[in-house]
Amino acid sequence: MSIRVLNPNAEVLNKSAALHMNINAAKGLQDVLKSNLGPKGTIKMLVGGSGDIKLTKDGNTLLKEMQIQNPTAIMIARTAVAQDDISGDGTTSTVIFIGELMKQSERYIDEGMHPRLLVDGFEIAKKATLQFLEKFKTPVVMGNEPDREILKMVARTTLRTKLYEALADQLTDIVVNAVLCIRKPEEAVDLFMVEIMHMRHKFDVDTRLVEGLVLDHGSRHPDMKRRAENCYMLTCNVSLEYEKSEINAGFFYSNAEQREAMVAAERRSVDERVKKIIELKNKVCAGGDSNFVVINQKGIDPPSLDLLARAGIIALRRAKRRNMERLILACGGDAVNSVDDLTPDSLGWAGLVYEHVLGEEKYTFVENVKNPHSCTILIKGPNDHTIAQIKDAVRDGLRAVKNTLEDESVVLGAGAFEVAARQHLLNDVKKTVKGRAQLGVEAFANALLVVPKTLAENSGLDTQDVIISLTGEHDKGNVVGLNQHTGEPIDPQMEGIFDNYSVKRQIINSGPVITSQLLLVDEVIRAGRNMRKPT
Amino acid sequence: MREIVTIQAGGFANFVGSHFWNFQDELLGLAENAQADSVFKDQCIDMDVLYRTGETQQGFDTYTPRLLSIDFQGSLGFMSSRGTLYNENQNVPSNVITWAGDVSTTVAEPQKKNLFIKSLYEEEQENLHTGNSMDNGKNEDETDICDKDIVDNLDGTVQYWTDYSKVHYHPKSLYEIKGLWIDNEEFNNYGIGRDAYSSGRGEEICERLRFFIEECDHIQGIQYVVDDSGGFSGVAAEFLEAMADEYTNIPVLLYTVRNPTSDTYIGSRKQTISHHIQDAVSFSRLSSFCKLIVPLGSPSFSRNSRYLCIKDEKPYYSSAVYASALHSVTLPFRKKLLGPTADSRYESGYLSVHETIQMLAGQSRQNKVSILDVAMPAPSLTGKEAGKYLLRNMQTLTPETATDSEDLQATETITLHGVLGSGGRHALVAEANDAIQAAYENASPKFSHVSVARCPLPIPLPFPSIFSNLVGQHGELLSATSSSSSKGSLDVHSIPMATRLRSSSAILPFLETRLRNFRRFGVERGALGKELLRTWGFEKDDLEDVEEVLHKMVTTLVPESQISSDSE
Ligand SMILES: Nc1ncnc2c1ncn2[C@@H]1O[C@H](COP(=O)(O)OP(=O)(O)OP(=O)(O)O)[C@@H](O)[C@H]1O
Ligand SMILES: [Mg+2]
Repeated sequence: MSIRVLNPNAEVLNKSAALHMNINAAKGLQDVLKSNLGPKGTIKMLVGGSGDIKLTKDGNTLLKEMQIQNPTAIMIARTAVAQDDISGDGTTSTVIFIGELMKQSERYIDEGMHPRLLVDGFEIAKKATLQFLEKFKTPVVMGNEPDREILKMVARTTLRTKLYEALADQLTDIVVNAVLCIRKPEEAVDLFMVEIMHMRHKFDVDTRLVEGLVLDHGSRHPDMKRRAENCYMLTCNVSLEYEKSEINAGFFYSNAEQREAMVAAERRSVDERVKKIIELKNKVCAGGDSNFVVINQKGIDPPSLDLLARAGIIALRRAKRRNMERLILACGGDAVNSVDDLTPDSLGWAGLVYEHVLGEEKYTFVENVKNPHSCTILIKGPNDHTIAQIKDAVRDGLRAVKNTLEDESVVLGAGAFEVAARQHLLNDVKKTVKGRAQLGVEAFANALLVVPKTLAENSGLDTQDVIISLTGEHDKGNVVGLNQHTGEPIDPQMEGIFDNYSVKRQIINSGPVITSQLLLVDEVIRAGRNMRKPT
Repeated sequence: MREIVTIQAGGFANFVGSHFWNFQDELLGLAENAQADSVFKDQCIDMDVLYRTGETQQGFDTYTPRLLSIDFQGSLGFMSSRGTLYNENQNVPSNVITWAGDVSTTVAEPQKKNLFIKSLYEEEQENLHTGNSMDNGKNEDETDICDKDIVDNLDGTVQYWTDYSKVHYHPKSLYEIKGLWIDNEEFNNYGIGRDAYSSGRGEEICERLRFFIEECDHIQGIQYVVDDSGGFSGVAAEFLEAMADEYTNIPVLLYTVRNPTSDTYIGSRKQTISHHIQDAVSFSRLSSFCKLIVPLGSPSFSRNSRYLCIKDEKPYYSSAVYASALHSVTLPFRKKLLGPTADSRYESGYLSVHETIQMLAGQSRQNKVSILDVAMPAPSLTGKEAGKYLLRNMQTLTPETATDSEDLQATETITLHGVLGSGGRHALVAEANDAIQAAYENASPKFSHVSVARCPLPIPLPFPSIFSNLVGQHGELLSATSSSSSKGSLDVHSIPMATRLRSSSAILPFLETRLRNFRRFGVERGALGKELLRTWGFEKDDLEDVEEVLHKMVTTLVPESQISSDSE
């Protein structure tokens, strides 16, 4: 898919043409993305020229798949992607909001209004809307015992915009539990401590939370156990392979014996390290029915694997760097960087470790850990594009839960906030503004309606009817959103439709910034070529 | 096992790689082909060094390169980024199981397959049906006609490196950089590449590499081919730094390659400056984190060769030469440990990546940069001056080298394969050694190592028609000319090769240009490229690092006496 609105090769355009080019580009991008919005939106399947399939209902993913060529569209897309980087959601809303701001502006500009005045009005309206958001948001207390129900409602709202209901609801519990599992009091939530792993399975679509860790590799020795219970876990970053020692002076060795001697010495020192591990194993496992598992970030060569296997140890090599941290959080113990630091205290614990093989792919499950602060969401799906889409949704869900914990507030969804803010701007704010900047406030206010309008349109409802009934309710003092099935007003609170506060704030913040830039353009030079993201 | 993992980053690197893997695939095929020459059947080459065995979920065994290829979105042409082996059902699915609402499907126009790819595909289908592998005797007449069409078709139509690739790739091998919203031509500088590596892409790239490294029992090195002419230098350098950090003890042997036309395209002054800075920065950064770097891409090469006719404007042509040289260089790394039956008179033994690097960069003088020379095809070792003749036939693939430099500290390693000795049989190891030693007489390098193998370079069908009419069917050098057109895979079936990696002060002009240009355009007061470097995210410290690295490489090579008089 590509967006070419006007000839993108034009180097410099005059002011008015440039402005209209910007407006058209914004509208073009809005058109592509708007059918994505909300739980009644359209999912997109993109089949590339080589047959690669991409499935997405996410604005962010869709934008990244598109080869956008128009510089204005690229600027908008960058803003939207930055929106996702910062807050994890709201890309589609950002794009359609920017498109709508441009559309509304076009009307006034065509009537002869100077863009500068509009931009002044936007600035006033933006400030007022952000203030209004502070009043409008629903505070939630997230102390030591967070309100699970609220977390679930926010996660479910997001997930149902990406996956069909039953699947979304199954994932809701999983993402909430995952975040609560890794959360530490007084610390920011580090979502990297949730591993997301996938498996291809012919017929199965299933996702589950593993309290513990799933690694995407297995042991490399035929005699090592494929399943073990009561495991001491050694997490280490120690080279257990023969490495040629650096010899700088002269070329190689003066004779073969010398070479042999060097090799033997190097081998001995590797074996020493392995033996220290075996000693520790023998010490802690003496007499009991416990097992010993080594997960190493560095390599383990076949002779070392042999020694370990003979000692009844399960060993994995070249573990992901990030899994070193996760393992410690999941199983306890310390990451050991030298065999001299080996002590029983440095070991963690897992009730069950087992391997699962699918073709050439191996997975190692580390489960039944005592007090997990790291966990894995395991996604099964029949093909890559389905897995990728579920993965994106899981990421959105995790971010929504994290945001809620950090925001300590949520915002009523289904268009409720946008309608309320619009009425506030028109009824209360506009009259306080002097002169024509009023019209900027008005344009901004009406642009906010693009969210409920698009939600209605995607549900096959008449947008005008919907807007009339929603604004009517709001003017009566009822905060309502849109029931996507009937078009009637609903109470989002009752229905549990909540959006993230930080996502909404970011949309309100970034939309007008980029719109103002695009409106105040003097001339367009092929812009947007540097890769830095707008901040 | 002494595995090597190969990484190819950037457009031209993948063009080179595509030929490189075609050679390997050809050797694999010849080894199983009953009609092939005996040198191909007992190659003494351990393919497992470069290839991995695997299994699809359906339980089919696979044998694919240990390869990570990085390229731009859209650079794979007709080929799926999942490769061609582990394919799930390629049909567009009719339903979406994760969504109950509407689905909109956008199907891009399918990329066309050229004649060669079509014939590969058909052959495979036939093999699947008859259960026959490649050793069924071909009907000569029929395939000949067909093959000619294929060769002609390829010559005119190659656009992507996948167009002439006959290799199956693993689904983790082909990584595409997506979501940048710029096109290929605009992805043209170090800074852009560096930014592209961040924001999640780097992590995914590292994960894929980890997949290939984890399964190695005893990896001997990473062979890293980088197109350093544009944004991929930034991607590659960031990736290399991450590798050096994660796999400290795995030596990286790095080649920089570039499309010959990338140097001729220089327009405005601004472009020239940016070009110079690009060259200096990418070379400095890439050399910082590898054990040995071999810059390739000599624009004069195609002009000076009698035996090759290379159209520089066709990357399909020029990349074939670099790939041939790379293949030769890897041979000693892949020698089977000589068993009692192997004929050690004709085959020299295994030499590891580490040992090679030690020879070239690990001597008293720590010069990390090596020059690659090639004789393609290599002349026979006959006659009194055979060694001299061979060395004189070598042309350098490294740009900006000195031809007249005399360097008593130079070290080098030479690989000969498929080269004939006296009496029309394969050259003996001892014979080759003697010839080379004799050639140097008194002005010999400090150290010179020679590896010999019998197996020549096989020329696969999709190899471009780059041989002049002075090259015979088995790469013998002809004197009489029969026709004037260039020859390709239909006329030339294999060629003997000689390559030489050399660590020598002849590289000084290359290094000095980069140092000088960097100082002039990037460092000195009022330098015109300062602003550019800032947009690439280079702070003062980074600039100092770049300069320091280049400066050190120069001083390593400049003889003591000259330093004092030359110093500024
Ligand atoms: N059940 C519902 N009924 C009505 N509206 C809903 C419902 N659930 C969510 N919404 C609304 O849908 C919008 C979010 O839609 P969606 O997640 O598709 O887009 P986005 O968050 O803007 O972008 P993206 O998720 O693609 O980054 C919000 O305005 C939200 O209030
Ligand atoms: Mg969303």
